[in-house]
Amino acid sequence: MPGEASVPHTRFMDTTSVYEAHVTALTESLGFRQFESGRLTKDQYDRFILNVGRTHTKSPQLLAFLFSMAPPAAAASIRGNMLEELGVADELGQAHPALLEQLLHGAGLAHRSADIRGLAEMDMRRLVTESLLYESLAQVGLAAMIEVTAFEYMLSRVADRMATALATHRGLSAHAIEWFTHHGSVDIGHAATGVRNIETYVEYYAIDDHDATTILEIAMRENAFIKRYFADVTTALVATTLVIEPAR
Amino acid sequence: MSTLRTATIYQLQIPFVESFTHHTAQRRFCDSVVVKVVDDAGVEGFGEGVPRPYVTGENPAFMIDHLAHTLLPSVLGRELPLIQAPADLAQLDEFVDPRPPVGVRSDNACRSALELAMLDCCLRRQGTSAAALFAVGGHTVIYSGIISAGALDTALAHARQMKLIGLQQIKIKVGYPDDVARVRAIRELFGPTASIRLDANGAWTLPDAVEMLGALAAFDIAAVEQPLAAGAVDDLVRLRQATPIVIVVDESLVTVADADELIERGAVDVFNIRVSKCGGLWRALEIARRAERGGVGVQIGAQVGETAILSAAGRLIAASVSNPMFVEGSYGTLLLVEDIGAEEVRFGRRGRGRVLGGPGLGLSIREDRLRKHSADVVEVRLPVDAR
Repeated sequence: MPGEASVPHTRFMDTTSVYEAHVTALTESLGFRQFESGRLTKDQYDRFILNVGRTHTKSPQLLAFLFSMAPPAAAASIRGNMLEELGVADELGQAHPALLEQLLHGAGLAHRSADIRGLAEMDMRRLVTESLLYESLAQVGLAAMIEVTAFEYMLSRVADRMATALATHRGLSAHAIEWFTHHGSVDIGHAATGVRNIETYVEYYAIDDHDATTILEIAMRENAFIKRYFADVTTALVATTLVIEPAR
Repeated sequence: MSTLRTATIYQLQIPFVESFTHHTAQRRFCDSVVVKVVDDAGVEGFGEGVPRPYVTGENPAFMIDHLAHTLLPSVLGRELPLIQAPADLAQLDEFVDPRPPVGVRSDNACRSALELAMLDCCLRRQGTSAAALFAVGGHTVIYSGIISAGALDTALAHARQMKLIGLQQIKIKVGYPDDVARVRAIRELFGPTASIRLDANGAWTLPDAVEMLGALAAFDIAAVEQPLAAGAVDDLVRLRQATPIVIVVDESLVTVADADELIERGAVDVFNIRVSKCGGLWRALEIARRAERGGVGVQIGAQVGETAILSAAGRLIAASVSNPMFVEGSYGTLLLVEDIGAEEVRFGRRGRGRVLGGPGLGLSIREDRLRKHSADVVEVRLPVDAR
């Protein structure tokens, strides 16, 4: 080929700055600002709660997948996360899906619980049946680890604010918002470990830096936090009805 | 037999994951118009058209008005034809008000939306699928990647993503001062075996095109799409004589009459056929037939930001025509924050996508998503006493 190579080389491991940018985009988004300042209707707060339930109900399964792919140096911490999600990490543990049920009950949305589980199952089915983009299972695992860690990173910084907003503007009890307060306190450690685990994973599977960076770009190409939590929270649509004459 | 009773027009605004830029436009969301029809048995059908003012003259407002006041009144209350073979699509095309529209070059995006909706409804009512109709069940199509214009760093990031997911046919949007650097960098990234082609979206004059294609020929360019503005057929003929690079037309090709003229004048090597731009499956296939008879190749193109409906229709055509040079589209949720079908239409690794085999066009449209992403919704129905 003519000319000199001019493809810029980006070192992997910019994960934290990518996560930080996404968290900032979330907290500066219209939906989040309205959520935090009490400008949503009860129905909109409920949609947010249902979205959180749908997003995280299957977290133990995702962590189980990550555990199955974990390099030896990261296995213990990922197993710890998984056991905590399942509520069996210690005697006082509560399964996180149960905390989400607690949230739905506390918000008077227990009757939607089966719907949420069904939607989460549909999401999971789609995740595992859609056409794969990546060349290897190691790359698929990296993409999954990047996304799971992104949520831990975000929740460690924003979950307490979400809990406060739900208590203040939606009137939820401390018991109901325990899923948020729990994540706000434990995920700081999880997120820091998660970022290190990503680095360990890339090294263990000998994933090329360019490819790892590109997988990070693909996995984080859109703001999953806004999409999963707020996409349908602030939608307003007015349909016009027009009656026409029949064809002759 | 099926009689159409009601229709709903959705003007979509599904946000993109990131913006897409070329010489003529920068897009941040899907601006498709989706039509739903419902027949007397309650069977539904969904179709899609994408208005492009610089191609057919249509915009979303025109589409809604034209569909609601002209095209839908010509089909509601009438018995749909039986669709048993691809040739029967001609009856669906003729079923719609044939009068040329006023104020636009063509109403092809409107016709696409309505034809696809009626076909989907007919096939569902008949208990069959488009894949069976075209005898392409289980066929696989290989898609190209398209690298949008904009900052070189961003273009290269997109190129790396496409390489990682195994795409081997790449189209680069050109028509900018850094074209040579851009094409060089992307060629070096992909190496010598990938097929790289260009799309200028009519950015160049004839002298510009001759100069740029001369400068870019060293990068082993498979084809250049729409190098000149639409309508410059004489200049296209001259350019074709001046460059060895294969010339594809897109904006220059909207109607069957355009196809006939371009073939007759020897102005082109390949047609870029897009279902929406060309007025639906029947007209798109008619252009493909003309191309085959006239010794012109075909590329099955797509609309940036199209939803699963046009992706499914494009895949049907791509699987039906003989040896398309390139196939585009089916980005699905790689571009849209959410698609409207329950089924995944996005291509997978190496750009592979299988023809959808389900009833009708093969999709289960999620109407809640349509409503969520619609800027406007118009319901069209017969008055009670006319049903």
